[in-house]
Amino acid sequence: MIEIVGARTIAHVGNAGRFGRFVWQTMVASTRSCVTTRAYPLIWTQMNLIGVRSVPIIMITGAFVGMILGVQAYDQLASMGLEERLGVLINISVVKELGPVLAAVMLAGRVGGALTAELGTMNVTEQIDAVRSMGTDPIRYLVAPRVLACLLLTPALIIYADLLGILGGYFVGVVQFKINSWAYWSFSASGVELWDVVVGVIKGFFFGAAIAVISCYKGFTCKEGAHGVGQACTEAFVASFISILALDYALAVIFKAIYNTFWPVRSLV
Amino acid sequence: MMVDKDKRKVKKDGKRSGKSVSDRNGIIVLKNLTKKFSENVVLDGISLTIEKGKTTVVIGPSGCGKTVLVKHLIMLLRPSSGEVYFKRRRIDNLDEKELNRVRTRFGFLFQGGALFDSLSVAENITFPIRQHFEIEDWSQVEELVKTKLAMVGLEGFQSFYPANLSGGQRKRVALARAIALNPEVVLYDEPTTGLDPIRADVINEIILKLQRELAVTSVVVTHDMTSAYKIADRIIMLHHGKIIADGNDEHIRNHPHPVVQQFINGQVNEDDLAVLRASGTIFQAQFLPRDFEE
Repeated sequence: MIEIVGARTIAHVGNAGRFGRFVWQTMVASTRSCVTTRAYPLIWTQMNLIGVRSVPIIMITGAFVGMILGVQAYDQLASMGLEERLGVLINISVVKELGPVLAAVMLAGRVGGALTAELGTMNVTEQIDAVRSMGTDPIRYLVAPRVLACLLLTPALIIYADLLGILGGYFVGVVQFKINSWAYWSFSASGVELWDVVVGVIKGFFFGAAIAVISCYKGFTCKEGAHGVGQACTEAFVASFISILALDYALAVIFKAIYNTFWPVRSLV
Repeated sequence: MMVDKDKRKVKKDGKRSGKSVSDRNGIIVLKNLTKKFSENVVLDGISLTIEKGKTTVVIGPSGCGKTVLVKHLIMLLRPSSGEVYFKRRRIDNLDEKELNRVRTRFGFLFQGGALFDSLSVAENITFPIRQHFEIEDWSQVEELVKTKLAMVGLEGFQSFYPANLSGGQRKRVALARAIALNPEVVLYDEPTTGLDPIRADVINEIILKLQRELAVTSVVVTHDMTSAYKIADRIIMLHHGKIIADGNDEHIRNHPHPVVQQFINGQVNEDDLAVLRASGTIFQAQFLPRDFEE
């Protein structure tokens, strides 16, 4: 029993060490890629694959988040005669929490899965070894462009999710539940600050980096065969999802502390 | 006076009958190389000198560590213990950045070709060039691609993608990529595996042609004895992580070790036969239609 626990502990510590080294190498390689013009086409290609092609799915996600929030919250607010404040509730939830988190979860599924599958297949077919055998650092060539593309474009995608979330909430509130349009926007404008939008967008940098690094690591370390690649994809999504939630919690605490330091506490309604 | 025993075994025509040459003649030298994966010892104290300009073929049954051995020559795998030298410089203790410079002097043909799926044939071949040189004149690069493809008999395939190529064509493109930087050493991992005899012989001829025209040092991992006899200046056989035979084709053909004879003649050994006999006949192991009749 002790032997099994010990062996597993050693294995987990070893895995954590390998992941830590991978993250460090990725940070160094990404920093270098930022100042190497030769790396820009690679980053650009990944931006297209990761960012541009994710726009429709992210927009759909954002729109439904706003609409569902509207449907669920309307009755509660209407019972207190506060239905005109529906926009505040929807918009602050969308821009601060649900927009970034659900957009990131969607990206973890769409982009993270693709990254793990692609790099995992390259790993089992010795393409990563081929990159190394030709004197090229695979982290610099394969990982850094993907991480940079995810890092830079996740915040942009979150803005799209926010925008569609706000429009979705507006559609439900004003078109479906006939709330006065002027009141809806007026209360929204007074309740949602630039800070809330900025917090959501900043979260995107962290979520994007986490999704890309975890997915690339799982691809680089996946076991042989179709089962190995499939398992790596599953592990990458689960690890990304948990990381997004953990990061969201940590960032919420940090940003709240920062906000409370500089501005007084305010009420939503 | 000490006399190098190995030197006395070198034949007049330059071909050796057995044992390794001295380190001075070697472009790659392995000293007491051991590789373990967990508790599994794959290479067990291998000492070997690869001669410059010659073709050394490593044979052995599947899983005996041939690929692991060849990957150690450019440090795609790090040894558990032992030393690896390239041109008298120790490389097993170099960091990845320094190793990348050393690796540009090698070409590696992987078993499945390991071509990049997302790149065309031309882009695959120019990959190492684009990574290591600032290209100003693309017409020169196009000319180089044309030349390399002509060397492997695939003129006009520049715009094809790996998915559109046959297994043999992929290996030839991979070979063109491996020689793109005019390497001093080319490592081949099972170059003829999975190919029909004619395609396999095409690969053999290309390996010989490269050695003749570019004077490269070749290390070939294979279990194809036809190929080994055709291209080898020296054949090494691995078994249970150790070298059990080392010499030219004649030496290997007449080697007294029973495992060597079984391998080169493709014979199953008595122990395996005993297991097969004990497991019953195929007829007994099969269900017949009458087994399902009431």
